[in-house]
Amino acid sequence: MDGIIDFFRTAPIPPDVLAPSLWLIIALPLLGAFVCGVFGRMLGRANVNLIACSAVAGAFVLSVLTFWATSDSAGGRVVNFPNPFGLERDVVRYALAHDYGTWFAAGDFRVNFGLLVDHLSGTLLLVITGVGFLIHLYSTSYMEHDEGYARYFAYLNLFVAAMLTLVMADNLVLLFVGWEGVGMASYLLIGFWYTDPAKAWAGRKAFVTNRIGDFAFLIATFLIVLLVGAFNRQADPRDFNAAGTSRERYEQALSERGPVNFKGLEKMAQGLPEGTGGKVSLETPIESGPLEGHTFGGVMTVAMLLFLLGAAGKSAQLPLYVWLPDAMAGPTPVSALIHAATMVTAGVYLFCRMSSLLVLSPTAMATIAIVGALTSLLAALIAFAQDDIKKVLAYSTVSQLGIMFMGVGMGIFWAAALHLVTHAFFKACLFLGAGSVMHGNGDETDIKKLGGLRHEMKWTWGTFLVATFAITGIFPLSGFFSKDAIFHGVEHNHLHGLHWVSEVVYALGLVITACTAFYMSRVYLLTFEGKRSSEARVAHAHESAWHMTLPLVVLAVLSVAAAVYAFPLMPRAGGGMQPVFENFLSPVLRPAETVAKAAETVELDNSTPSLLAYLTAWLVAISGGGLAAYLYLSFFPKRAGQPVGAVARAVRRVAHNKFYVDELYEFIIIRPIKFLSFILFRVVDSLVIDTVFVRGTAWVTARVGSALRYLQSGDAQAYAAVMAVALLGGVAYALIQVLQ
Amino acid sequence: MVPITYYLLLAAALFCMGMFGVLVRTNALVVFMCVELMLNAANLTFLAFARMHGDGIGHVSAFFVIAVAAAEAAIGLAIVIAVFRSRGTVNVDDIRTMKH
Amino acid sequence: MSFFDTHLLNVVIYLPLVFAALVLMLPASEPGQIRAVTLVGMLLDLVFGAWAYLRYEPGGPEFQMEFRVPWFEHFGTSYHLGVDGLAASLLMLTVFLGPLVVLASTTYISHRIKEFHLALLVLQTTMLGALASMDVLLFYIFFEAMLVPMYLLVGVWGAEDRQMAAVKFFLYTLVGSLLMLVAIVSLYFISAPPGARSFDYATMYNNLLSANRSLAACVNGPEGACASLTGLAKLLHTWGPWMFAAFALAFAIKVPMWPVHTWLPDAHVQAPVAGSMILAGVMLKMGTYGFWRFAIPFFPVAAQQARPFLATLAVIGIVYGALMCLAQRDIKKLIAYSSVSHLGYCMLGMLAVTVEGATGSAYQMLNHGVSTGALFLLFGFLYERRHSRLMSDFGGIAKVMPVFTVAFIIITFSSIAVPGTNGFIGEFLVLLGTFKSSLSLGFGAFATLGVILGAAYMLWMVQKVFFGALTHRENQHLRDMNLREVLTVLPFIIMVPVMGLMPQPFLDRIAPSTDRFVARASVGAPGAQVKDDQLRVEAMALPSSATAAAPSAHVPHAARAAAPSPRP
Repeated sequence: MDGIIDFFRTAPIPPDVLAPSLWLIIALPLLGAFVCGVFGRMLGRANVNLIACSAVAGAFVLSVLTFWATSDSAGGRVVNFPNPFGLERDVVRYALAHDYGTWFAAGDFRVNFGLLVDHLSGTLLLVITGVGFLIHLYSTSYMEHDEGYARYFAYLNLFVAAMLTLVMADNLVLLFVGWEGVGMASYLLIGFWYTDPAKAWAGRKAFVTNRIGDFAFLIATFLIVLLVGAFNRQADPRDFNAAGTSRERYEQALSERGPVNFKGLEKMAQGLPEGTGGKVSLETPIESGPLEGHTFGGVMTVAMLLFLLGAAGKSAQLPLYVWLPDAMAGPTPVSALIHAATMVTAGVYLFCRMSSLLVLSPTAMATIAIVGALTSLLAALIAFAQDDIKKVLAYSTVSQLGIMFMGVGMGIFWAAALHLVTHAFFKACLFLGAGSVMHGNGDETDIKKLGGLRHEMKWTWGTFLVATFAITGIFPLSGFFSKDAIFHGVEHNHLHGLHWVSEVVYALGLVITACTAFYMSRVYLLTFEGKRSSEARVAHAHESAWHMTLPLVVLAVLSVAAAVYAFPLMPRAGGGMQPVFENFLSPVLRPAETVAKAAETVELDNSTPSLLAYLTAWLVAISGGGLAAYLYLSFFPKRAGQPVGAVARAVRRVAHNKFYVDELYEFIIIRPIKFLSFILFRVVDSLVIDTVFVRGTAWVTARVGSALRYLQSGDAQAYAAVMAVALLGGVAYALIQVLQ
Repeated sequence: MVPITYYLLLAAALFCMGMFGVLVRTNALVVFMCVELMLNAANLTFLAFARMHGDGIGHVSAFFVIAVAAAEAAIGLAIVIAVFRSRGTVNVDDIRTMKH
Repeated sequence: MSFFDTHLLNVVIYLPLVFAALVLMLPASEPGQIRAVTLVGMLLDLVFGAWAYLRYEPGGPEFQMEFRVPWFEHFGTSYHLGVDGLAASLLMLTVFLGPLVVLASTTYISHRIKEFHLALLVLQTTMLGALASMDVLLFYIFFEAMLVPMYLLVGVWGAEDRQMAAVKFFLYTLVGSLLMLVAIVSLYFISAPPGARSFDYATMYNNLLSANRSLAACVNGPEGACASLTGLAKLLHTWGPWMFAAFALAFAIKVPMWPVHTWLPDAHVQAPVAGSMILAGVMLKMGTYGFWRFAIPFFPVAAQQARPFLATLAVIGIVYGALMCLAQRDIKKLIAYSSVSHLGYCMLGMLAVTVEGATGSAYQMLNHGVSTGALFLLFGFLYERRHSRLMSDFGGIAKVMPVFTVAFIIITFSSIAVPGTNGFIGEFLVLLGTFKSSLSLGFGAFATLGVILGAAYMLWMVQKVFFGALTHRENQHLRDMNLREVLTVLPFIIMVPVMGLMPQPFLDRIAPSTDRFVARASVGAPGAQVKDDQLRVEAMALPSSATAAAPSAHVPHAARAAAPSPRP
């Protein structure tokens, strides 16, 4: 046993060798994208497949090595690197980092190419490259008849590179590179079949909606930069002491690493709470600069709320979730990778990464939790009435992301991250399963026109069933544990002054669980159970090739196996046991815990869920699924052909039309802006400025000129007379002046 | 010695006569002669002041004016002849084409 | 001391003119030779320009590669060249665009080919001259001379309404610059006593400096403190705002800032591809460069007072330009309005008077030259094929022109400032600088709206033109870019990620200029910490032989201005 533990604790490649090569993880897919994009046509399909897959596979291998290295404790010395923002002896444990020098610098501001892999980003690395590889493999078969394969794989590799940048960045601005990079790749992939205007439009909608979030993200970044500057000016030694650093070290690190480095932000968060006895606390007003007069805590809340808007754009939360369902216009593997497993979870990752800042603002946390809960509920309700299998899965993604946001908002970061991982597995499995269904049924997406696939597509059916159980939250699959961990945290963590949030969000969470079980069961039942629909496009579905079923199986297995992470198997520092994943992420999340304790903003609860809680959740999920089973297996088939009540029809119509949110946005935002720009162009630009002022000036000049023309009589003697009169006038004036 | 006032009065009278001629006569040749008269009025003023100050600057100016007047007369007469050839008249009222 | 130590800038500036003379000697019936000679000239100029750019040492004196000889000494002028970091960068941008412009016009221009290339070469000389001039009068001469070849480019080789656009462009810019001439001359008269007057930039600035500082002290001091001002400070108190307004108007028209921007869409729409590229790439920067070099440092107090007003105009320009784009049907007009928006960022960053903002502003000038220049270039290729500028005449051409589409989309991402492309660095620094500045936070927040609108209009245009079904039969047989066209675009495509991922070499050259600009601009700001050593302009004195030849009072004065602190 000890031998095995030692084996896992000794990284095959020592961390100090690996750290300078971290860039390779990003560079490999980027190179793949370049080769596929530029030489794809020359290389041919097989070579492109090989290059794209091996680029991601290479990144996966490196990620595994890196992940391994983050747990390296060979010779009793845990892998670590010195924290540039802390005192000399301050080290960041269980993490690798490397700084590749300045990206750009101006004045006090500086951004470095710094990569950081700790347990959080290490886990995500594995998910991105691992699931990414499976989806690449799946795509080789899924896109086998498509002409644009080279472009497709180039975009997909580009996406992986951007996503890896996002999670490995050690500062906000570099993270933003990945953040926008994934948005760009997503834009390209959603609009992959660009000849269809609706698909191109969906891509643009996704990008512009994301840009609204990025707008908020940018402003929040600027506020954070200002905040760091103010903290650095105002903090006294006690504040720095509480943060585990000194002014000299902090300033030096600021000048070397820049103000947006996550480690620096963490130190600031540790210095800010009231209890440090220092000069700066959350209520301290900022003395000088553009933020003069505002308190640190107030600015932090605003920044976090802006980050929430940014995250809402990327992670499809209210009010910016509308792009995600339309994003299903892209190829299905893309939906699985980008719009389910990785990109959309970037918001959750961002908040986990900045957890120590987030816990300083209970208001922002409560807002995040409530936004998450409302989004989740709304998306679940819309999913009830969607007939497009991909749309249902899209809304279910929105809903699941809402659950993660609830977790983040209530301070149970590890569970949110765990749910992110398990969700990546089962949702990718569901999407790929849906893709397999489409592939075998002539691209049919309407679940009403499928049915009975259970016997024709056995592998797809089996894996889809497992994933459905996982997302529904059926014991003992991973989704059950991760979701339950979130809800447990939601129930027992309390935000300072906002206790009601826990109860409200928890209650909503139970409703959402039931809804999830209902619509997922509905999709499953209509697609796989019952009889084959008479409207089906092809008479007999065919099972997909191994390229497609193998990823399904792997993901289904992972959906089950990932449950281990939620088991309380590891010893807690203060006695008792704690879930594996909490233990695993504790090096990353401990600063947030200490900050929350010091600032008294969040009461974090560490207990493990009781059996009763498990049972409740399980019963709720079963009842939702059971209701769906009753309705779709027995109730509706019996009533087929009978007229439906008016109220039921109206409810269904509203839900089917997504509560008319798209129309609302069109009406209150898009139309007014278009109208405004049109009016401004026609009235202000063309009429007022150009016609009245510019051409008006020219016109007046021309008119005055032509009026003065008539003074030109051509009579030389008249001119001479004018001269004579003027001369006389001058003489007379001079005489008067002299005589006076 | 005659006071300078008389010279100046004479010059002013000459100038006014010349100007009057320029303004009212219609024959281009007569207008020219009147211009010469005005120039000579100016010359007289120059010389009178030169005499009064006892230096040569006025004389220099007068010579300049004479030279310019000669050139002007030459070019002016040439123009008048050209106009007469093309239009058959030297009446300034009939050659108002440079208008509007 | 080799020839190039002293004459490198002269070589860079006049090489195009030399080649213009060569072109003049070629027969008009040989378009191939004319193009080849022009291209060689531009390429040689690129080599020398790049050399000059690399020779510029970021840590060295402010102005480098100076060259000064007497020229109309009686007026106090001299022929004085020199570049600081910003001028060197813009110089590099200009010579970079030169050969590409020639390549872009190879098939676009089909008549009066000789005259066209003559105009291009002369234009190149005037632009380079304006950037490298260290004498205000010399700058003015180049600045005005630029209009003539550009007027011809638009007016002779433009589209259907070229005459109107050319005249509008010419008169519009002339109005501002004539007012500026008045301001320059009056500044010449007030800045020094008779006999010591000079048009030299360094002398003029140093003469104004102490007056500006006492003026700033009294303006920011208690009420009525300015009554006790004397001499130059008093004159500046009274007339400074007017002179600043004259300078600002001239440059604002050139930038163009809202609301004096309406010449730009017309000029861009009518200009041939070369005209649009140069106009967007370099000429608009003359406006921002003028603010940076002349208007703000000469009148820091007036600039400080006008700052909220100008910053408001810049923010309006950003948002308004973007909104205008959404209302366009004409692609070239859309790109032109996007220039208004982008140049708004340049102005805002400069007016923020923070190092970050100014750096971003300078970088944005370069970026805009690359990305908008490339957009015009690419659209020029499309226009050659289809002779239409309306979006509705296109649609779905990604199918027939895949390489072109890829190039266009890459440049589009650069234009909307996706991180990793050059546009991001500039925009990010400008916005950060604005947030850090003493302008209120609202300026930054509103300017950031441009981020959303930028994506909205550019992607809208891309979708209209490239995506969807091929609806027009004429578009079904468009051919993709040929090798020449690919080679013309390639430098732009390479510059986008290079400037986006490795901006530091470029920023290093800009940095000394930004530090000094911020120091000089904050002379007028209340309570600003100004580093004295960065304020004075140290420049070369007239060579001593000239002093001996012209022993009048003004030349020793110019020498004195530079004498007190020896060059580091």
